[in-house]
Parts: sequence; C-alpha cells; structure tokens
Amino acid sequence: MSYLELAGLQKRYGSAVAVDDVSLSVAKGESVALLGPSGCGKTTTLRMLAGLIDPDRGTIRVDGSEITKLPAHKRNMGYVFQSYALFPHLSVARNVAFGLEERGVGKAEITRQVEEGLALVRLSGLGGRRPRELSGGQQQRVALARALVIHPSVLLLDESLSNLDAKLRDTMRHEIRSIQRSLGITTLFVTHDQVEALTMCDRIAVMNRGRIAQIGTAEDIYERPATRFVAEFVGRANALPATRDSDGKVLLWGASQPVAAPPQGEFDLFVRPQRMRLVPVSEPAGGSTVRVAGRVLRSVFVGDHVEVLVEGAGGQLTVEMPSGTTAPAEGAEIAVIWQAQDSLPFAREAA
Amino acid sequence: MIGVARLPLLLVPAGLFVLAIYAWPTLLLLRNGFNEVGPTGAMIEAWSLKTAADTFADGFTFELTLNSLQLSLSATTIALALSYPLSLFLFRTNSRFRGLLAVIAILPMLISSVVRVFGWLAILGDRGLVNTLLQSLGLISAPLRLVFNWTGVTIGLAESIMPYMILALLAGFGQLDRTLEEASRSLGASPLRTFWRVTLPLSLPALALAAGLGFVLSMSAYITPKLLGGGRVFVLATEIFEQATTNTNWPVAAVLAIYTLGLLLLLLVLSNLLARGLKR
Amino acid sequence: MNGAGTVLSGLAALVYALILAPIVVVVMLAFSADNFILFPPSGYSLRWFQALASHAPLLSALWLSVQVASVVTLLSLAIGVPAALALAKGEFRGKDALTGFFLAPLLLPTLITGLALLLFFTPLRLTATLPGLVLGHMTVTVPFVIRMMTTALSTLPHDIEAAAATLGAPPWRVVRRVTLPLATPGLIACACLSFLLSFDETVISLFISGPRASTLPVEMVRYVEGRTDPLIAALSVVLIIATLIVVVAVERLVGVARAVGK
Repeated sequence: MSYLELAGLQKRYGSAVAVDDVSLSVAKGESVALLGPSGCGKTTTLRMLAGLIDPDRGTIRVDGSEITKLPAHKRNMGYVFQSYALFPHLSVARNVAFGLEERGVGKAEITRQVEEGLALVRLSGLGGRRPRELSGGQQQRVALARALVIHPSVLLLDESLSNLDAKLRDTMRHEIRSIQRSLGITTLFVTHDQVEALTMCDRIAVMNRGRIAQIGTAEDIYERPATRFVAEFVGRANALPATRDSDGKVLLWGASQPVAAPPQGEFDLFVRPQRMRLVPVSEPAGGSTVRVAGRVLRSVFVGDHVEVLVEGAGGQLTVEMPSGTTAPAEGAEIAVIWQAQDSLPFAREAA
Repeated sequence: MIGVARLPLLLVPAGLFVLAIYAWPTLLLLRNGFNEVGPTGAMIEAWSLKTAADTFADGFTFELTLNSLQLSLSATTIALALSYPLSLFLFRTNSRFRGLLAVIAILPMLISSVVRVFGWLAILGDRGLVNTLLQSLGLISAPLRLVFNWTGVTIGLAESIMPYMILALLAGFGQLDRTLEEASRSLGASPLRTFWRVTLPLSLPALALAAGLGFVLSMSAYITPKLLGGGRVFVLATEIFEQATTNTNWPVAAVLAIYTLGLLLLLLVLSNLLARGLKR
Repeated sequence: MNGAGTVLSGLAALVYALILAPIVVVVMLAFSADNFILFPPSGYSLRWFQALASHAPLLSALWLSVQVASVVTLLSLAIGVPAALALAKGEFRGKDALTGFFLAPLLLPTLITGLALLLFFTPLRLTATLPGLVLGHMTVTVPFVIRMMTTALSTLPHDIEAAAATLGAPPWRVVRRVTLPLATPGLIACACLSFLLSFDETVISLFISGPRASTLPVEMVRYVEGRTDPLIAALSVVLIIATLIVVVAVERLVGVARAVGK
C-alpha cells in the first residue's frame, strides 16, 4: 500500500524539460533516495512535492488524497533545504517554533515541543542562540528539528549533507537515519552522493535527464543496473568495447568469451574493477570465466586499495586489488579474469 | 514561487504614478517641441517644425552644442584621469579602512551640489585658497581668474561627476581578477609592464563605460555651469533653463531639450558599443 | 596578497585631497569672521551661524525642504516598496519590461524631467506648491526606492521564504514574518537616502519652485548668485553634518556603495 504516490510528474522551462514523466510510489515509513547528477531533475521533483514549484503535468498523492494543486503552506511537508534556510532574525528556538506558531499551537505546547525537538537533534540548551552562532552541523540539526516538530506527512531532504565536511557528514548520516527509523517517518532524500543514497535509504531512484532510470534497493542498483547510465553513475566500472563472433559469443580483446551477446548493435561490457582478478598468463580460463591478457602499465596505491592499469589488445582497463596484496611489477605480462555473470552488456551510445 | 498570482496588483500605484507624473509630462515635452512662438512671444498650439527649424538655423545653437561637447570632454577627461587611479587603489587596497575610503570617495555625490560649488568658489575665487597661496609665494602679482569662466566650470564639473565614474569603474573592475596580475608578475613582468599589458587592457571596457557616463552627466549638468560660470558660460543646459523660465519660451526649450536628449542617447550608445568592442 | 603599492596609494591620496578640498574649505569658511569669501579667513568667529539663525528666507526654505522630503519619503516608500515586492517576488509575463519601465526615470537627466514637469504643472497651478514639489521629487525617489528595494528583496538568503512556506505560513504571513523583517535594514537605509535625495534635489526644484515656495537648495542657489559671503558656508556645515549622519547610518545598515551603485 503506497503512502506517497507521484504519477507522471512533468516540469518544463521553456523548451527545456527539467522533469519528464516521473512516477514513484513510497510506502509509509520508507526512506527513498533520489540519486543523480546535478541537473537531472531530482531537486525539481522534490520542490514539486513541497509545492514550491507547480508541475505542468502529473499528480501527487499523499495517503490517498491528491495534493497536486495545494499551496506549499497547506501541504505539511518537512523540508530541509540544502542551505538550511534558517531564519537569521529569529533565535534557534523561534526557528523551530515557526511552523507550530503558524499552526496556532498554544504557547506552552510550543515550548514543550521545541524542547523535545531540540533534544531529538541533541541541541538542548542552544535554543536562545542565533543561527549564525552555530556551527554548520548544528545549523543542519536545527533545520532538521524545525522540519520534524510539525509532524510532517513526508520529510524532504535536499542535498542536506553536502555543505558539511566529510567527518561530520558521516555522523549526520547515521543520526538522520536513526531518527528517521525511530519516528517511522516517510522520507525522500535528494542527493548526488551515492554513498549517502546507499547508506541512508531503503530504496534508491536513480534519475537522469528528468527521468527515473531505475528504482530498487541498493543491491539491485549496484549489482543489476538497468541501464548503461546507472552502471556508469553508481560505483565504478570498466566499459570494455566488445564485438560478436560468428556463434553470437562475445569477442573481447581478440579472445572469445563465455558471455552471451545482445542480439544486435554495438555494445560494451561493463565490469566492476573489484570483481576482476589478476592471474599469471599461464593460468587458463575456466568455463564460466572471462579472461583477457595484457601488460601492466602502472599501479597506483589509493589507501584502501591498489588500482592496476592494464593495457591489452582492446584498450585499457583498471583492476582494483585490496591493499596489502603485492601488485605486479610495471610492464609485467598478465591475465585478467572475472566471473562471466559479472559482465553486463550495454549498447554503445551514439556519440 | 509562493502564491504570487496577485502580486502584480502591487505595481498599480507606482505604475499610475510613473505614467501620470513622468511619462505623460515627458510626452507633453515632446509635444511642445512642435508648437510655435508668436511675434509677441506667446505660445501658439501647432504641429509644425518651425520652432525646430528656427532653432537649428540659429548659429547660437551650434555654438552651444560645441560649448557643451567641449566642456563635457575636458571635464570627463580630467575626471577619468583622477578617478581611475583612485578606483584602482580602492580595488586593490587591503587597508582595513577600505570601506571608509570607498565611502569618502563617493561622498560628494551625497552632499548638496550647491555646497560643493560654494567650496570651489572659496578655493578658486579671486581671494580664494589658490590665489592667496600663489600670491603669498610671490608667483603671481594679480589674482588669476579661475571662476566665473570655463576653467572654474570645468574643474567643478569634473569633481561633481567623479563619484559616479568611480562607482562605474569599481563595478567594471569586477572582471579584473587579481590573480591575473600575479600571474603576469610571476612570468617576469615588472609592475609597470604588468599595468600596461594586463591591468589597463582589462579595464578598458570599464573606462569606456565610465567615460560615457561622465560625459552624459556633464552634458546635462546645470548647477555647476550656472553658478561657477557666473553668467558667462553658455551651454545647452543653461540655455534650456533660461528659455523655459526667464523667457518662458517653452517650444524652444522643448526643442533644445529633445535635441540634447538625442545627443545623450547617441553618446550612450557609442560608449556602450565601445565598451563591448573593447571587451573582445 | 600585496596591496595597492606606494605609487598608486600616493596618487589616490592626491585625488582624495582634491575630492575633500571643497568640503573642508566650506567648513573652515563657515567660521570666518570676514564679510566676504576670503580664504584662508583672516579671523574666526561664529557670526555667520548667528546670521543664519536670523535669516528668515533660508530658514523657511529649510523648513519647507524638511516637509517636502518627509512627505516624499513616506509616499515613495508607500508606493515603491509594494512595487519592488512584486518585481522581486512575482513571476509574471513582461516582468523585465516592467522593471525597465519603472527604472526609466533614473536614466533621464533631471534637467529634462524638470522642464517636462514645468510644462505639466503650470496649467495645473501646481508649480511652487507643496504637492507640486512633492510629486516632482518623487519622479526621482520612486524609481530609486523601487531599484534599491528590488535588489534588497531579491538578495534575501536563498530558500528562506520557501522554508517559511513549507512550515505552513501563507504568502502574506511569509512577507510579514520573513521578507520584511529581513529587509528592514535595507528599508531604513532606503528611507534615509530618499530623504536625502529629495532634500538635496536642486534642478527639478529650480524649474518648479517660485517665490511662494522655494526649497532650501533653490534659496541657496539664489543667494550664491546674488552675494558672496560666508553665510552659505555656515548653512553648508549644517547640511554636511546632516548628510554625514545619514551616510553613517546607511553604511552601517547596508553599505553606501551598494545602496547608491547600480
């Protein structure tokens, strides 16, 4: 039973399409990420949900009732803005109280709920401060508390962690996730950071050019990307140009491989670098193993892993080895193997 | 963004005001340019070009034009020569008084023009600062005539347009990235060569815009030519005022006003074209 | 990084001396004991301030200017701020053209506007009246208020009004609780500058003033044309002090360069 339902949402600006036919169902209490590069329409989608942008077409339903035409102030959505958008002329407590005041909640009740809200984001005692006197992470929490105290039907987070430094981002990620879980609040989270999407959400909708390219769990998206774009955008992948041999088998770097080729068109095989292994040239390929041969160009130590760049008959590819293992010497002749099911064929895009 | 459908209604009072008290009188001014002046000096309603023809046939109009252009050219040149180093200084300085210095530079713009003109009378007058100083040094015996002539008007005008030009230059310096000058220095250019090869070429568009602005302001200035000219300096602006008030010859005043406006427009277009051309 | 350098700083100091010279000279002259403009004065006194305090035409002109500038400021804000709100927040067709329309009066020299107003007001008997002067000055201040407030209102922190809306505030409450409070410094600065613009407005006033009603700058022009004694210097000191108060206030609130710049 879906709680939040977007159907055929579209938004154009002149001839440019910002959001094109976006449909999405979110269950109550579920957390969904809208993941995509900048300009893919994810923020526009979120703003349409909040009533900050009018969609040209499509409907938005929350808990069965349509809210497509409802003005922003009647939607009861908790929106945490990328810039936090805290009111600089009001104290932290008044910022958090703002939505309750607009709802005509009684003074004593407001005080109680504001205290509760600030406690939830671990900012008790800072209610008297002005927003500019707080650190970035604290401001972020105020924005979160302000959006939560109105008991929103949906919590909308717009790139909410992108202004924080890496360490703080990690902490906030877990904090928001645990608050979201404990309150059981339906959440939509816009981000261009895949780690954020993978760690904070039950499901991920990958967006590209105003459309949803794929919706699924983190594992679905990573292991079974539906389109070439998803495979490229989520995680890293080698795109290896392949051809067909006479029996429809895949020909890669001049060697026939135990992988079925798509029926027509030019295509590339996508393989995650960490699924590849380096083996001596003498080691033969197994029945379900893809094997190409080449020469090590160079190895780069990147901390938690080592990247080995291999060049062969069909171009170059990158293999990721866990650090601690010894990388082969530069110039060494070597073979690269991986499981056939780890190769994902995608049609080559017209340049 | 937020329920703004009825916002345009807020424009109505201001719109009515601009239409009634600005647009309509301006049309009226244009209309007056086609009226004629009778032999008694009374205005005759008409739709003719007679007033315009008479005005332009009069050699005095040509003389006024030359005077105005010449005055504006010298005032703008002086003002530009002074504003440029000041603006560059303001743009570059990292003094903690930078804000204060910028305010002082544009302060004259906010002080009544009559007050400033009066100051120039005290500096340039027969018994003013300059003449007293030069006489006490024994450099001159009789006072120099520095006001109530073109010299005084040019100096006063140059000073009065400077704040506007400084603002225009500062705005234009936006694209003058300081790292470009640092790059030039790191590539071995001396400060002077850096100024010549990097700073000046990059600030040319701003200079053109500032010059255009200064020229237009000089052409339409009235108070300074009137008071520092002491009745001996005749430009388009003073003539328009005289015709309109002392002579109550509205058609001629209107023709001269339209003519001046045309000149200003032409000058603005030219300086904008120049600025755009220099940007390439 | 490196600052302005000695050569440039030296040049700038010279230019500053030139800019400040007329103002400094006027202030010194105000305390002159001489009967005419002599600089430096041969002696110092407060006699010209005393003369000013009993000079009826200048004092009544000063009073008229204060009245005109006050009314002009109130009316300009009353019609200019709503227009700025619409131009800064509205999304409607022809907004850019309308903005151009409202700012157009700033492009025409006051010499032309003054003449146009003279032609318009004379048949309506509005010249040399308080309403005439007020309307005349408003051709300068209304576009100024619209320009300054449009900028002030559209440079509010990003998404701040959207935030208020998502928290349940209807549009007029957003304006009252967020937009206007945040624009208050700009609003006060704008009022100060409007007052100053009207108070110092000379050319338009010269066209539409008459013996019955002259503003202070007009009366000063007449005085300077007729006589050359330090009385005007004493008056100038009063005006300079008043201007400086406004300048300091505006600088504190929004920054002078930002307020008067484009």
